[in-house]
Amino acid sequence: MFQSSLKMCVRLSSTSREGLRRISSSIKPVGAHSVRSKPDSLKQEILEYRHVYPEFLPDPKFEFRNSVREKLERNDMIARRQNIDIPEFYVGSIMAVESSDPHTPGKTHRFVGICIQRGGCGLRAHFTLRNVIDHQGVEVQYEMYDPTIHKVDVLKLEKRLDDELLYLRDALPEYSTFDPNMEPEILSEGTSVPVNTIKVKLKPKPWLERWERKNLQGVQDLELDEKFYKKAEEVATPWEKYDLMKEYMRTIPVEEQTEIYGELQTKLQKLNAQGKKMKRKRVFVKPTKLA
Amino acid sequence: MEHFAKENGRRRNLLFCTLWLSMALLSTNFSKNCFKILEDAFLKLSATYTSPQIRDRHVLNPKPRLRNPTWFIRKQRAETDEKLTPENEGFIKEVVQDKYNQTQPVEAISNVEWTPNLQRTGLIARKIGIYPLWKKDGKKIQTTLLQVLDNHVIRYYPPEEYNPPRKRPGRIYNKKACLLMGAEAADPSTFTKEYCGIFKQSGVIPKKTLGRFFVSPNAALPLGTLVNAMHFQVGNAVDVRGKTTDRGFQGVMKRHGFKGMPASHGVTKTHRRGGNIGGGGEKGRVWPGTKMPGHMGNRYRVAKGLKILRINTSHNVLYVSGQAIPGETNSIVYIYDTKLPLRKPVNPLPLPTYLGDVDENVPENIYDESIHSFSDPTVVYDESK
Repeated sequence: MFQSSLKMCVRLSSTSREGLRRISSSIKPVGAHSVRSKPDSLKQEILEYRHVYPEFLPDPKFEFRNSVREKLERNDMIARRQNIDIPEFYVGSIMAVESSDPHTPGKTHRFVGICIQRGGCGLRAHFTLRNVIDHQGVEVQYEMYDPTIHKVDVLKLEKRLDDELLYLRDALPEYSTFDPNMEPEILSEGTSVPVNTIKVKLKPKPWLERWERKNLQGVQDLELDEKFYKKAEEVATPWEKYDLMKEYMRTIPVEEQTEIYGELQTKLQKLNAQGKKMKRKRVFVKPTKLA
Repeated sequence: MEHFAKENGRRRNLLFCTLWLSMALLSTNFSKNCFKILEDAFLKLSATYTSPQIRDRHVLNPKPRLRNPTWFIRKQRAETDEKLTPENEGFIKEVVQDKYNQTQPVEAISNVEWTPNLQRTGLIARKIGIYPLWKKDGKKIQTTLLQVLDNHVIRYYPPEEYNPPRKRPGRIYNKKACLLMGAEAADPSTFTKEYCGIFKQSGVIPKKTLGRFFVSPNAALPLGTLVNAMHFQVGNAVDVRGKTTDRGFQGVMKRHGFKGMPASHGVTKTHRRGGNIGGGGEKGRVWPGTKMPGHMGNRYRVAKGLKILRINTSHNVLYVSGQAIPGETNSIVYIYDTKLPLRKPVNPLPLPTYLGDVDENVPENIYDESIHSFSDPTVVYDESK
């Protein structure tokens, strides 16, 4: 499993420029001695948290860093997570968010959509959901630690081939249309997160961005003139992935990640156990049928 | 007989005086009495007489009016290789510890009741970052975190003793006393002897940062008092002074927010320039104060009237509203009770400072009533409202 995640990591780092800013890809391949000792496996388990809870890693910009602030921020995040179960999700997962709305007092507002973007760190962490409702594309950006959010459900846990799915805005509407009354799909425990390799068909130009320059994996042939691809090749900066200094500046070192998640581990495990208990309880409750 | 003689003498003196006044200018023998009369006469004259302007009277290099405060002393010692053995280094550390651990914590006493006119001391803090809090109505609010450092009172200057480097014109009514605070204890061996001398009186370990705060004499603190974040109260407003980010020599667009000029349509070589800087004719010169390129930042600025929304008592952190507080993250700022008349506190403040202990009875986080604590349940909008 770790091998696959490592591959994923390498692939992500090769495709991404902005998306996974906080995730360090400077992990040494463990290979043979991965199962040798227990502390190593524990370390790996801790390091897995960076995919599940990326927002616990601070902003790597060194001029904004302060250890006391980061600690206080994490404490606040844990305090909020004790009131609300924020499950594991990725860009490409289909989610439902229930939040209270000042214009409909006493009720909650539910929005279902595909997660097209995830970003921010600490209490500023946010994600964007997209859906097409009545032939109109709708996107809502939610802040993960906003106290007006009542519930975050993952209806379908999966990843896509790209870190950001902003190109769905220029894709045919059927690719971002999801049933608001969708039933949640439950994955059996222990399975890795499936990757949806669907290739999206984009509408013809004009687009919001020059998608041919973004090195997208999850789109079908763009059907452009040769000159566009030529220009894209000219502008591309394929050497950046080898720039170690840049890599260092935009990531949190592994040592620091293990320190941060090591501190959080017991709290996160407790939260997870709580979440599972709640899930089990929910399983036993008979679903009420809508009219 | 004697009496008569005296009387006679006096009369004679008077006569002399009158006589003398008539030829005062001629006389060279002045008496005290006459000096005064003359002075008055001259004063009357000077009131009506205006002297013509005397040019070239100024001194080319006048004495600088600015005099540094007494605690502006060379701080850092020149680094020399002392060739100390590890044992000796350990011994020096021990000596330092012994010297500064002996001092007993000072207990301030409060027997003065708080009134809005009393000015309390401020604090030295560090700006440690910005993060959002949410209000109870679900609105997000950006807050800046200011970590109050280990503030000790180093020196106290009573109002009559304090000699300010810059004299203010006019009479000063109810002059304030001055309190010198220090923050961030450091190894004294890195400082000069003179700098360490500042701390001798209070017995406090030498500090990296000093700050001067004006206080009412009634709100003064004894030397060596430790002041913490509980000095301030949630819901009150503070002024924060800090040194703005140094941006170096900047153009007019960044420095003053000018619009610049079009990128195209025949414009050449003037895209980020300011344009005209003055008119012609009678005003044919560049007026003083014209906004032009120059050095930007690295000067002290005060952000006023910021509300304290939350206090973390264990880490001494104030959560203050707003995200435009001068200074970079991890820079030193000075916090004062606000001077804005409409945001002055109504309820009594701890005077001269918070005197209780910060123990289990004090909650770790104190929130303003408008702020949603992260451990509170989710916000629900009430139907009745």
